[in-house]
Order: sequence, then structure tokens, then C-alpha cells
Amino acid sequence: MTGGLDYEGVSFGYPDGPTALADIDLAIPPGDILLVVGSSGSGKSTLLRAANGLVPHTSGGRFRGSVTVAGRNTRDHPPRELADVVGFVHQDPEAQFVVDRVESDIAFGLENLGGDPAGMRRRVEEVMDALGVAHLRDRNPTTLSGGERQRCAIAGALVTTPSVLVLDEPTSQLDPQGAEDVLAAVARLNADLGTTIVLAEHRLERAAPIADAAVLMVDSRLLGAPAAPEFVLAEYPGAPPVTRLGHLLGWNPPPLTVRDARRRARAVDLSAPLPPVPTTPGDVLVAARGLDVHLGATPILHDVSVDIRAGAVIALLGRNGAGKSTLLRTIAGLIPARRGTVEGPADRAYVPQDPSSLLFRSTVRDEIAETLRLLGRREPGAVDRWLDTLGLTPLADRHPRSLSGGERQRVAIAAVAVGGAAVLLLDEPTRGMDAASRHALERAIARHAADGGAVVLATHDVELAARCAHEALVLGDGEVVAAGSAATVLADSLFAPQIAKVLPGFLTVEQVAATAATPRVDR
Amino acid sequence: MTALASVPRSADAQSWVTRVQPVAIYALVTIIGIAAFLYPFWLPSSALPDQAHSGDAPLVAGIVGALALTALLVEVRRGSMTAMTVAVLGVLAASEGLLRLVALPLGNNAFYFFVILAGVAFGPRFGMLLGLSAMAVSAVITGGIGPWLPYQMLALAWLGATAGWFGRITSRWSPRVEVLALGAFGWVWGFGFGAVMNFWFWPYQRDGGDLSWIPGSSLGTTIRHYWSFYVATSFANDAARALPTLILILLTGRAVLATLRRFAHRLDPVTVFEPLSEPHSPSSVEAR
Amino acid sequence: MHHPAATPRPWHSVAWLAWAIAAAGAVQLAPSPVYVALVVGIAWVMVEAHAPDGPYRQAFPILVGIGVVFGVFRVAIAAFTTHNGLHVLFSVPHATMPDVMGGFTVGGTVESDIVLQAAAVAFTVIGVMAVFGAVNTIWSHYELVQSTPRSFYELGVVVTVALAYIPATIESMRAVRDADRARTGGHAVRRGRILRSILPVLERGMERAVALAESMDSRGFGIRGPARADVEAGWCVLLALFAFGVGFLALIGNGTTTALVCGAIGTAALVIGVWRSSLGVHRRTYRRRRLQGADWLLMATVAIAPLALGVLTATGNSTLAWYAEPVVWPRFDPVVALALLPLLAPLVRRSPNAAPAGAEREITTVAS
Repeated sequence: MTGGLDYEGVSFGYPDGPTALADIDLAIPPGDILLVVGSSGSGKSTLLRAANGLVPHTSGGRFRGSVTVAGRNTRDHPPRELADVVGFVHQDPEAQFVVDRVESDIAFGLENLGGDPAGMRRRVEEVMDALGVAHLRDRNPTTLSGGERQRCAIAGALVTTPSVLVLDEPTSQLDPQGAEDVLAAVARLNADLGTTIVLAEHRLERAAPIADAAVLMVDSRLLGAPAAPEFVLAEYPGAPPVTRLGHLLGWNPPPLTVRDARRRARAVDLSAPLPPVPTTPGDVLVAARGLDVHLGATPILHDVSVDIRAGAVIALLGRNGAGKSTLLRTIAGLIPARRGTVEGPADRAYVPQDPSSLLFRSTVRDEIAETLRLLGRREPGAVDRWLDTLGLTPLADRHPRSLSGGERQRVAIAAVAVGGAAVLLLDEPTRGMDAASRHALERAIARHAADGGAVVLATHDVELAARCAHEALVLGDGEVVAAGSAATVLADSLFAPQIAKVLPGFLTVEQVAATAATPRVDR
Repeated sequence: MTALASVPRSADAQSWVTRVQPVAIYALVTIIGIAAFLYPFWLPSSALPDQAHSGDAPLVAGIVGALALTALLVEVRRGSMTAMTVAVLGVLAASEGLLRLVALPLGNNAFYFFVILAGVAFGPRFGMLLGLSAMAVSAVITGGIGPWLPYQMLALAWLGATAGWFGRITSRWSPRVEVLALGAFGWVWGFGFGAVMNFWFWPYQRDGGDLSWIPGSSLGTTIRHYWSFYVATSFANDAARALPTLILILLTGRAVLATLRRFAHRLDPVTVFEPLSEPHSPSSVEAR
Repeated sequence: MHHPAATPRPWHSVAWLAWAIAAAGAVQLAPSPVYVALVVGIAWVMVEAHAPDGPYRQAFPILVGIGVVFGVFRVAIAAFTTHNGLHVLFSVPHATMPDVMGGFTVGGTVESDIVLQAAAVAFTVIGVMAVFGAVNTIWSHYELVQSTPRSFYELGVVVTVALAYIPATIESMRAVRDADRARTGGHAVRRGRILRSILPVLERGMERAVALAESMDSRGFGIRGPARADVEAGWCVLLALFAFGVGFLALIGNGTTTALVCGAIGTAALVIGVWRSSLGVHRRTYRRRRLQGADWLLMATVAIAPLALGVLTATGNSTLAWYAEPVVWPRFDPVVALALLPLLAPLVRRSPNAAPAGAEREITTVAS
């Protein structure tokens, strides 16, 4: 029995949608980690779901060609009959638990397949150890962090001893620490058990280094055969910053990790980056002074002050639970402060982390116009302007629920921003976003600031902060632990973006490109 | 894992048996369920041994209710419980269980409109299943498991199933008319649900008065007494159920139905496999 | 589905179900208020001795409270609308309802025997509520779901999934309310808010359900046994229903024996049907808690109570039921109390009264 996975001439179309896979030929050797990259809607998820027959058995649709895994053809075997050869993990860590206790949920797959009780028991203990979740066995999954939940979900998929594990953007909803833990666990599984792994991801900084091969999907098709990730990613816009840096500076092959890049960078001699153009500080739009905030009886923020000036983009950094969202919501006036004030002439608008909690209309345009209706205003111009600013014009007539996570996030931002608030407070806006959505978002942020507004971003995404923010504020345990210009705060911290770790003084590939229009490279 | 070998559907699974059996079972469960609910209207006094044991009649009816429910449960799962059905039922039953706890200005009656809309969108079988599971879930979370539960489950299952049948008619109408019709349906059922549910305790309350069941009295008397009882005890309460159901359907019916119907095809996926003969056909898959 | 480490309950939940049926049966068989009071007392003792801490502990007072409210209401209705009693307590002004409303008379004379009889009947309802209120605080719903025959396995999974998604649904409702306020800059717009709260929760729920279904499918849910078993089960169920139908007809025709025979045949056919259809479900339970010898012994012991009361009924014990005419104190017979004694059997074992944290779900309980 081989652990390989073969796609032969696979084409597929959803019942209510366009073609999602076209003429896919792909052979994944046993024991490999294959990384599938591509923008949202390129067909990555569909490709992964075809591995165990979720496509087409569970989804419905028209299917051509064949997928064979461990000698079984998915035409003849629905997913439930492949449960012992393919494990599948979904991107949403909240939506794959059947039972509200970790150990019982992990055992679910074995219960369905049957087996002797003693063997079941041993197997569950083993996978809990393999994923490092044994101490969570009695917990309710809803009380776990995203990273812990994803590791439990992987344990639940592995309990049936599959030879192939399929992971659909397993870290896209996680904070950096959770993502790190999940991918480390995946790499360990592959090393220890020889499990074949197929992984789709948008954020490639951590995923690319563990992959044996990568393949790029564009418009339902594979662009070439799987190859070493550094070659596949060299020109991909969503590649890790160090890879794009390597591509820019002509390193061949480009590096995938900061460690590789640093070794190569020793030979690079770049003049110091241009000092950032000093921006004239605008008027204070909103000033928060000495905020103390409690949620229930729990103190969340202590003595936090921040000035939000016209034209500023402020990045709010800090680990989960440091109080980032609470600060944004306090500034927005959604939570009262125990002590301290939030004052200023400008309106504030807060965009929550989960765009799904906002969207309910049947078209994107209608969704954005709904806010104006609720505010009792009629400004068709504003709707069009925000559609354009966030790059949503081509999607204006789509159903918001048919969009990808990144696109939905942009719709949510437009739907809140159209109300006309000068200060936009964005909570974790790049979660689950592909490169195209990130660029559209970055443009919109810059445009809003240039028009005299201000944006505050609470984010784990230091690359976003490095590319957009002028100022940065680091929260730790509810207090401000660092504040100042983004360049200084980001450059000398563990939060530093990849480029700063490789070429001190620079934050982004664009800065390097601007400085090194003619780089002097000693080889 | 030998059990994984796919089991071919035996030939008789496709035969007329599988089509006729469920219909017969649903019909009989309905008839017997109604008989069990409505025994005060037909049970002759001679069937009740003596005063001291007249208390057994509700007990018998309770047992029959539980047996009818068991029969229904055996049948309703057959062939329809795919992972998708179970997952959708589970998630919707969770919302339903919570809706039961929500206090509206007119009492905690935000519960019924959703069973109706789900039945209309996903069909009678799903409506029946949702009624059964929503009631079971809400009994578990409120700690309300007791002899009344089979009655409640059967009543809500009928609500869901009738909504499903009604929906087959209304889905042909324009959305506006459909929502009005469903609102009226929900309003009527708001009263009907109370009228039916009274039967699990009405027969216990026998004091010989104008409002109580007197075993052995004529059908007309029984109906008159029940009507009096209903007006005196349940009317206000049921109006407080019927009105929110009507209002919620009118306010949200169109949008909720549209949302549910977008997911309807996921419950019953249609898969087409194109033949393997030309493995590398250049033309891509045709999709509408 | 089963929480082995988190449920140190000394008795299996199925044994508790047997206890509840026996106790409710005792209330039916000995409806005199003294005996019902004894059963209510026993139920209360069980809650004190065996109910773990947690939100479910509220089930006992809540269900008893519902019973009391219901009983008071019932007594009031009887007092003011039933007028065939013999001992008039006092009179109040009366009015007769129009015929459409049933044509009954409200008010008039209030008779003591009517009031007392209604109270006695209401008390039996309170007794049944107390018994089930008690077991709802004590047993583990997981154990119950897990103990259902395999043919109800899928429906058990529905309940399990629903329980697992309640916290997420509450969170989703909160997030939607929050997002709605954020959208309009912090002030809530009331118009259309119902729709704006329901739809995103529903959409999110359906998306979750699709993801969950993929996860369940990938983990082997729904592997079927032979389809034959289902067809056979269908025939058994049909036979059972026909038997029940004939039994009902026999009851109308006063053929008690025929009715009983039909009932027995129907029940047997139904049991066989459930068993056959269980064969159609392919699964093994992980770390299942089985009924131990002691659980069986407990079930046998509590069954003695209704059986003994049945014997006392057959031998014509006149204290079992009580009538308010003539108005006398209900009589107490120690033999009947002795027959109720087996209902105390669960006290043989003790529960550690506080369940460890996480044993029960956080339920932002009952009616906001």
C-alpha cells in the first residue's frame, strides 16, 4: 500500500458555479509535504477536497478524471470510506468539533470505523501525545486557543492512521504563535510517521520552509509541476518577504527563511535607507487619555494613552489577550472606560475581526448602502467611492457570502467606512487574506490617511504594519510597552519584519528596491 | 479496517418497498399519534375500569405516545442521515434551543417560526427531524426531560412536517404571497400547538366541572368542555405564541428562506461523473 | 459523547431513568397526597445526595416551580368554574361566558371539596415534576444519549453536535450584536434589527454546518451496515403500528384483553425493529460506560416499588387514593410507605457532591 496521491485529468465544476478545477494532473509521492499556493478562488480548496472525495461526493457537481489514493479511486469511494487513508483538516478551527470534549471528539473517527476497544484507547492516547494535546483531554474545544483547537482537529483526523493528511489553510485563522505550533506539529508528523502532507496556505513565511515541493494554482489550473518551493515562489506576489528580497537582489535560488537570507545578505552592501519623509503631524482627531478598561471584573487595559492624528496610520501590536481589540472598541465608544477619556472632533468607526458577523444583504453594493440607510442618509457617491477604494467594484453585484475571507473583510471595512468616520479602527484585518486582498487593503488604508483620515490597525501581521504604519504601539498585559514611529518600534524588536532581520534599517522589500535601484552586490 | 469495503445497495433497497414503507409508517404514526393525543374525545367510559384507576388512561396514552415516537425515530433516520443532514440539524437545533430561552416581550415564543421556515426550505422530512431534535436539545439544556417530552417532540415534528408540505405549495407563489401565507400558517399553528399540547395534562385534571374531561361523556360535551377549558386557560398564552410567530415570519421570512434555500442543494448534492474514456479531454467541465 | 473522567457519578444514567419511571409510576399508583409528599421528599433527598454542582442543579426547583404554578392555576380554575361540589365555602359574584366562549360560568359558589380535590390532583403533577426534576439534576445527558440503541445513533449525534455548538452560537449572537452597533458608530438602530441579528447568525451557522459535515464525512461518519436491516426494521415498525391501531380499536370496543395482547405484540415488534435497525448502524463507542451489576441490581430494586403498589391496589388497599368527599384527612398506611422504601436505594452509594470544573457545560441558563 503506497501513501501516494494521484490526480489524473481531473476537471470539476460546482453545481451553482463556474469551473473550479481544470485538467489537473498531479502525483504526490509518499512521505512528501506538498504546498499548494494560489490566490483565493484559484481552486486550492477544491483541489484539496478532491483528495478524499469531498469533491464531488459531499459538494455535488460535475466531475471528470480520477483521483487515486492508496489504491482507492474517489469515484467509487465516498469520503467516509477513505477515512482510514486520508485525514482532512478544515481552515475554520471552530467548525470541526462534533463532541464538546477533546478526547471524545478525537475518538469520533475511530468510533465510526469500529475496532476493538483496547486498540481504540491506545490509538487515541498516541495521537494526543503526537500532537501534544493530552493535557487538554477534558477541555471543551470552545475554551481552547485557535492553535490548540487546530492541533486537536489534526489529532482527530490522524486517529484513523491515514497515510495522507490534507490541510486546508490550517493556520489562516490563527495568531503567529498558534500557527507556529501547528506547522511544527505537522512537520514532526511528517518526519516521524512519514505521513504525506498536502497543505494550502496564504501566509507562507512558516509554511514554505517545511515543504518539500510547492505548486502554484491559477484560475483552476496548476501552473507547472510541483517543484522546490524557492523556485515556485520566486515570482509569486504572496511569497515571504525574504524570498521576494532574494528575487529582487538576484539571489538564485531565493531564500525561504530569514536564516538563509541572512547568510546571503552578508555579501550585500546597501547604502543606508533613505530617512523616512518626515510627515507633518496633522491635527489630533481623537485623543485617548489614561484609559482603564475592565470587562466584567477583569482588568484589561491600564493607563493607556494614544493620540490619533489626521493622516496617521497606527499599528497596534501585542500578543493575544494583550488588550488590542479592547482598546479599539473603547476608542470606538463600544465599551465604556472606568477611568480616562476618549475625546476629539472626529467620528470613529470600528470594523470587527469577523466580517461574517456584519454581512447579511444579498449583494456587496447593497451591504455597503445598508449602513447609509441605517444612518438615514442617501449618498450613492459614497458607496461607489468605497467600492473603488477597496477594489470591490468588480464584485459589487456578488453575494457577500460567496466571497473569500479576504474579500469579505474588505466588504465589511467598506460597509463600516462608508458611514464617513474619519478614524477607522480595523481589528486584525488581514486574517485569512491572500496577496491580492492585502494589496487592495493597503492601498485603501494609504488613501484614507492621505485624504486626512486616520487608521488604527490592531494586528499580528508585522509585515502589514511595516508596509502601512507610520506609528506603532505595542501593548503587553494591558499596558503600553513601546510606542513611537513604526520604523523604530518595529526594527528593534522580536516583532521585526523579515526584511529588518536580514537588512537592518530596512522594513520592506519596496524600501530596498527604492534604495537599491542599482545595488552593488559583491559575490 | 475490513468494514470499510463499500457495501453495495441490495436490490430490494431500490424497490417499491422502500417507497411504500415510509409512507405507510408516517400515516400510521400520525393516526395513532392523533388517537393517543385525542383519546379523551373517543375513549368510552367502559374502557376505564373504575374511578380509582381512571388515572391509568393518561399513563397508557403517555406510553403510546412514547412508542409512536420510537417508531417515528426508527423510520425517519432511514437513508437520510448523511453527515450534512446531521451537521445542519445539529447547528440549527442549537440555535433553536437558544431561541427557546430568549424572552421576547410576549414570552419565550421565538421558537416556532424557525421550525416552520426550515421545514418550508428543506422539506417535510427535514422539518420533522428538526422538530424532533430541537425539542430534544431544548429539553436537555433546560433539564426538562420527562414524560411530557414525547408529546412535545411529536407536536413539534408535526409542525415541521406540515410546514414542509405546505411549503411545497407556497414555494410556487411569489415571495410576498408566500410569506403572507406562511405567516397565517404560523398564526394558526400557534394556537393549534397549544390546543394539542394541553392534552398531555388536561385529562389528568378531572374535577367534574364544566372545564374538565368527564370520562364517558358524549363527544359533544367533551368538545364543549375542552373549548371552555381552552378559552379559560390557554387562549391568552397561545395568542402570545401565535402573534410573535406571525410577526417574525412576516419580518424575516423572505430573507431567512432565501438564505436557507441557498444551502438546500448541499443537503441533497447531485453528483455527475463523466465517463473515464477520454482522460485528457481539452474542453473544461461545463457548468451552468 | 461520554465524559469518563469528568463524571464520577456512582450510578449509570440508565439506572436513574429506571428510578424516575418507578417513582413516577408510584405517584400514579398511590396518588393520595401523603404518599405523593413522600415521593417528593425522596426526590429531594436524591438531589441533595447525588446532584453534582452546576447549572443543571437548577432543574429541580425550576420543574417543581412549574408544577406549583400550574397547580395553583388549576385549583383557581376549578374553584371558580366547577360548581358541583357539596360543601360551599363562600360565594363570589358570577358571570356566564357567551356561548362562543364555551358558555361556562365563572364565579359563583366555591366549594371546599372541589378545591381540595383539584389541589390533590395538582399535587400528583407536582410529584411527577419533582421526580423528573431530580433526575435531570443528577444524570449525565451524555450517558443517556450514548445508551440509546444504535439505531438512534445519528439522532444522538445531532443532539451532541447541538450541545457542542451552543457556546459558539451564543458567541456568534454576541458578535453580531456588537458588529451591528459598530456599523452605525456605536448607537443602535432599532428598525430592522431582528433581521440584522438573525441573518448573520444563520449564515454563519450554515457555513459552520457545511464545514462540520466535511469534517464528519472525512472522519468516517455514516458508514452503513447492510440496507436489508433497515427494510426489515421497517416491516417490524409497520407491524407494531398495526398492532397498536388494532389495540386502540379493541379498547373502544371494550376488549381490554385483546387490547393488552395487541399492545404486547406491538411493543415486541417495535423492540425487534429497533434491534434490526441498530444492525444497520456501523459504529463502536469509545470508552463506553456499561451498566454494571450494581446498576442492574438498583434497577431491579426500584422496580419493586411500583410492583408492590400494584399488588396493594389489587388487594384493595383503600388508602392509596384520596377523595375530598367526604372531607377527611388522607389516611396513612405504613405498608404503603414500606412499598415506597426501595426508591431510596440509590442512597447506598454516595456521590462526591462537587463535580470537577468542566463537567457541565456553561449554559447561560434559562430565560434571560
